[in-house]
Amino acid sequence: MTYVTPLPREAITDPELCDLIAQSETLGVPDELFPRIIARAPEQAKPFMRALLMSHAQGNVDHKLKEIMRILLARFAGDKYFASLRSRKAREMGLTETRIDEGCFAYEDDDKGFSEAEKCALRYADLMFLDADQVNKAFYDEMKKHWSEAQIMELGAFIAFHYGMQMFMRSLGAKAAT
Amino acid sequence: MRFSELMATDPEAIDAAFFDELRKYYSEEEIVELGVFIGFNLGYHTFFGTLKFYPLFSPDGRLLTQAESEKIYGPAPGSLKASEPSR
Repeated sequence: MTYVTPLPREAITDPELCDLIAQSETLGVPDELFPRIIARAPEQAKPFMRALLMSHAQGNVDHKLKEIMRILLARFAGDKYFASLRSRKAREMGLTETRIDEGCFAYEDDDKGFSEAEKCALRYADLMFLDADQVNKAFYDEMKKHWSEAQIMELGAFIAFHYGMQMFMRSLGAKAAT
Repeated sequence: MRFSELMATDPEAIDAAFFDELRKYYSEEEIVELGVFIGFNLGYHTFFGTLKFYPLFSPDGRLLTQAESEKIYGPAPGSLKASEPSR
């Protein structure tokens, strides 16, 4: 049980929030636990759910890559809740647990077959909260060889937002998906 | 303030007893509001820090160039300088 008790699902009646929850359940990330908790602050719940879904499943960066980055960040954050969730969309696109683990722990190994663009993006997620000083001008110059400015902002915002929500769920003691 | 500090520096210290203490002063809605706010800022301030952009306005409200702002505010926020704790 989390330190803040989730609202019962039937207590959430706002149609827009219910639609966002349905979308997230279809995707698989987050499951209903996260929205049932943030629904306790209803004015916050909708924009946060929209941002979580949009940043993960939309945009101009490969969803499978963002799914690996999301899991890498959740593991780094020590957040067992988000780390345990998996995107059905990414799975249907061919992402496997083996590939996720390679992306989290061995993306720099050439024999794993990650492109230079993918390595840069994974390094971005890896370094942002481990050693942000390394995410400097030289790092962004390297990123720009592989990604547009819009894609770099998409990736940076994705990393920042998901890590923030992972730390929030960790602080609540959310141990695993319901 | 303790919630903010611990989420960034020692999330293991945020336990049931910590939430019991929070509940003496804040409702469940306010605790969730604070928690998502802290998480959001924890993520975005680190990201923004890597982009090296500075406040648009001086402390007295003048619009600044980025070079002028860097001179006023320094290369990193005061709260991130280990030698100059913000409290």
